[in-house]
Amino acid sequence: MSLSREAYRELAAVVGEQYISEDDFILAGNRAQTPEIPFAHPSPDAILLPGSVEEVAEIVKICNKYGIEYIGNVTGCIPTAYCTRENSIILHFKRMNKILEINAEDRYAVIEPGVRHVQLYPEVRKLGLSYTAAAVGPGGSVLVNFCATGGDHHCQYGTSRPTRYLLGVEMVLPNGEILRTGSLQTDSGWFCPESPGPSLRSIVKGYSGNSGKLGIITKCAVALDRCKGPAEFRAEGLSPHHKIYMDSDCSSVYVFNYKSIQDVCDAITKLGEAETCATVQKYFYLPLTLMMTESANEFWEKWPEYKKIFPMPLVVHIATHSAREREYEEKILFDVVEETHGTRIPREIERWWEEHMDYFMIVARLQSVLRLGGSWLPIKTGAESLQHMCDVYDQTQTFIHDYTNAGKIFDAPANYQIIPMEYGHFASSELLFMWDRKDPQSFRYMAEFSQRSKEEDLKNHAYVMAPYGFGKAVQEQGALYSHCTDWLARVKDALDPNYTLDI
Amino acid sequence: MLFPENVNDVRKIILEARETGKGLVPVSSGPPHIHGGSANPDAETVCFSRMDRIIKIDRRSRYCRIEPGVTFGDLIPKLAESGMRLNMPFLPRANKSVAASVLEREGVLVPKYQYDYPDPLLTVEAVFGTGDIMHTGSASGPGPVEENRSDMVLPWGPATIDYYRLFTAAQGTMGFLTWATMKTEVKPSLGSLFFILSDELKPLTELANDICRNRVPDEIIILDRASFTDAFADSAAEEEALSGAPEWIMLCRVCGFDRYPEERVSIYEGYVEDACARFGLTCEKQPSFLPFPAEKAEKMLMDCDRREVYWKERRGVRKELLMLAPPSKTPDIVSAARAEIPGAEIIVQPQVQGRAFRIEIGVYGDGSEGYAKDTDDLFLNAAKKLMPLGAYFDRPYGRLPELVYPEPVSLEVIRKLKGIFDPDHILNPGKLCF
Repeated sequence: MSLSREAYRELAAVVGEQYISEDDFILAGNRAQTPEIPFAHPSPDAILLPGSVEEVAEIVKICNKYGIEYIGNVTGCIPTAYCTRENSIILHFKRMNKILEINAEDRYAVIEPGVRHVQLYPEVRKLGLSYTAAAVGPGGSVLVNFCATGGDHHCQYGTSRPTRYLLGVEMVLPNGEILRTGSLQTDSGWFCPESPGPSLRSIVKGYSGNSGKLGIITKCAVALDRCKGPAEFRAEGLSPHHKIYMDSDCSSVYVFNYKSIQDVCDAITKLGEAETCATVQKYFYLPLTLMMTESANEFWEKWPEYKKIFPMPLVVHIATHSAREREYEEKILFDVVEETHGTRIPREIERWWEEHMDYFMIVARLQSVLRLGGSWLPIKTGAESLQHMCDVYDQTQTFIHDYTNAGKIFDAPANYQIIPMEYGHFASSELLFMWDRKDPQSFRYMAEFSQRSKEEDLKNHAYVMAPYGFGKAVQEQGALYSHCTDWLARVKDALDPNYTLDI
Repeated sequence: MLFPENVNDVRKIILEARETGKGLVPVSSGPPHIHGGSANPDAETVCFSRMDRIIKIDRRSRYCRIEPGVTFGDLIPKLAESGMRLNMPFLPRANKSVAASVLEREGVLVPKYQYDYPDPLLTVEAVFGTGDIMHTGSASGPGPVEENRSDMVLPWGPATIDYYRLFTAAQGTMGFLTWATMKTEVKPSLGSLFFILSDELKPLTELANDICRNRVPDEIIILDRASFTDAFADSAAEEEALSGAPEWIMLCRVCGFDRYPEERVSIYEGYVEDACARFGLTCEKQPSFLPFPAEKAEKMLMDCDRREVYWKERRGVRKELLMLAPPSKTPDIVSAARAEIPGAEIIVQPQVQGRAFRIEIGVYGDGSEGYAKDTDDLFLNAAKKLMPLGAYFDRPYGRLPELVYPEPVSLEVIRKLKGIFDPDHILNPGKLCF
């Protein structure tokens, strides 16, 4: 399908002819498979590059007029950034890429959707500030991570997930009106996310974002924290063969291995009770080995050794205000590790973290983990109490060997991460599959395991994550979760009765 | 007045009200009801005092689950028995409902534990105006709540809507809560309280901004001399002695936990002392004007007000104007508030890691209708002057809805949401913008 000439003319009049395209070689790039998303998407009829919230609002009104579906896209890392049906257009936000304000005193930054972590993070770090930058690499959109997706970072133990740090939001509603939430509602600035009275922040983001299904977010403010560790760091070499050091007597890194996830849980709980350490995490050992090696050949060379050395690594970064405080925290750390039966990994391997301190800020070479088969798929992504998430993954071990022993999935049964937040009040989790995107059987096995895993969680009444989205199948699942998908559908009906925002 | 005893009673009350069109207003705390959210002549009162069970206290995962009738007076000692504490408001009255306090987004004393404004509220069970029972966050499922094997502590969702935020500061207009799960924290084994004094507010807000961003203090609050006196003096002699206090008093406490508590307290004391020196302030453990041992203040900071006369009732009937402000704007807003509101008593509390301050302005009168009306007018006029300076009235009581709901787009959206969750407008009718 293609746009009617009348619709095209009206859309072109909003953004200008140079910022709208129906050229097939442009559209092709927005329907193609990517390493992360091995699906073909329906082609958009056009790509538009709006330059302001007013342009977005006008585009939305035209879409309503002509019954055109539309969807926002920044980096294209997730399937929901692409069309799901024909008669759709994509609004690409690469022109709306300005950092509008960094307020160091009141600790927030105001950004447009096209701002990437690689833009914002260095600017705030220079001011001694930081934020919980999602573990998607430097190219990820900051706004998307805070508003539209989960946005978890593997170093949120001493902070929290972006959900807590999203402040005022400007959003174009499906009827083309511009909504401002929180303190913006009364022109009181960007600093507070909650509305006067019942909060409209509720519909901006829940555990995950709506991926733009209730409105297109065109600006948001994100809260900033003081950075953990020194504001400045030392770099050597060029990416991806770089090294990043934090030369400070207030920063130290330790990595321990454990034999039991319950011992890991005990260790994180005890450290959290003492409110010590900046980062504590149980990371997945397969991606870790991929990040620590330079090639697939080197991976296969090191993997047999590394999977014995750190099958269950507890990675700890201590970042304090003084050397004395670092020593105090180290004393507690070593007490806890001894009590919980952890063992320190060899220094020559532990040193990798000291040379790659970007791991604790923005992982610069995350995509290198795609090296093995070209695709990844996170499953069991969710969060609850630290103990519950550890129990869920403990239970996974009762059936994952059926798949690893049969060679159906990669033989790395403990390849999951448990990321505590707010000093262990909650933990997010993820089981990451590496699979061969050229091998259809590989995909089928992964789907089979994923389904089994979901069934086990339901059978055990274990909370991992509630379903979201629209449609009959999702609504049936939502019935098990306080009918949340029914309520979401009612909100969608109220805000977008024409369903012009792509679902 | 209706007295439900469980969620099914609440559901039945709401379904009957839908049939009769009768309005309902919830109340959970004992008197005084300072803000008037639970007063509604067009509605029948649903009193939750009989729903007063502490359902669960979990030391391992650090949370508690309580019904709305549980008060601070009940909960604080129970948590202490388990080695825990609440992040709670400054000296709440003993008969105040804990759930109502968190739902109303009242200020809390320990900003480092507060990551966003509804914190420490985690999950809730609530009944919407439709009569449907909702469990939020990880309490939502899978399956019936009694079979849920999680800790039911994850606040967000379920899925892509934060339902629990709909109930906050809503004055019962979106649904009636039947239990709430709340974050609790480890009770410190050692504390050290500083009194940091100044005749100007600005150095203290700057200090608070500095030390809160480094997560140094546990409890931290700034009171003017009058508020400090109301809160802590127990006799005329103590009141007289406190008249010699500086205009502003910051209470700042640092703590140690089970492991090496003396060492942590010593390190953190050093951070406070260094920061005070940078801002030209002095911190004292037992200031000379204090007519009682500092330990008394420290103890009160960690408890509710169990005295016969609640400290906010000592000078008459209190009315309050509440607002939030970014740190940089707080001193100017407070100066302007003092000029606009004669006799104002002011408390400034760093919130959400110190990224905002909650400003609480109290005035006293005789409780007559004339006083109530005059104060509402006074607060509305003052708010009009303070808003351009950056004051944000996130909890609008009295006449403040007239000021905060003029913006048509957000008003339309919140009314659409009200139409979904309370389609017959039976929950606290006429309140806020409904």
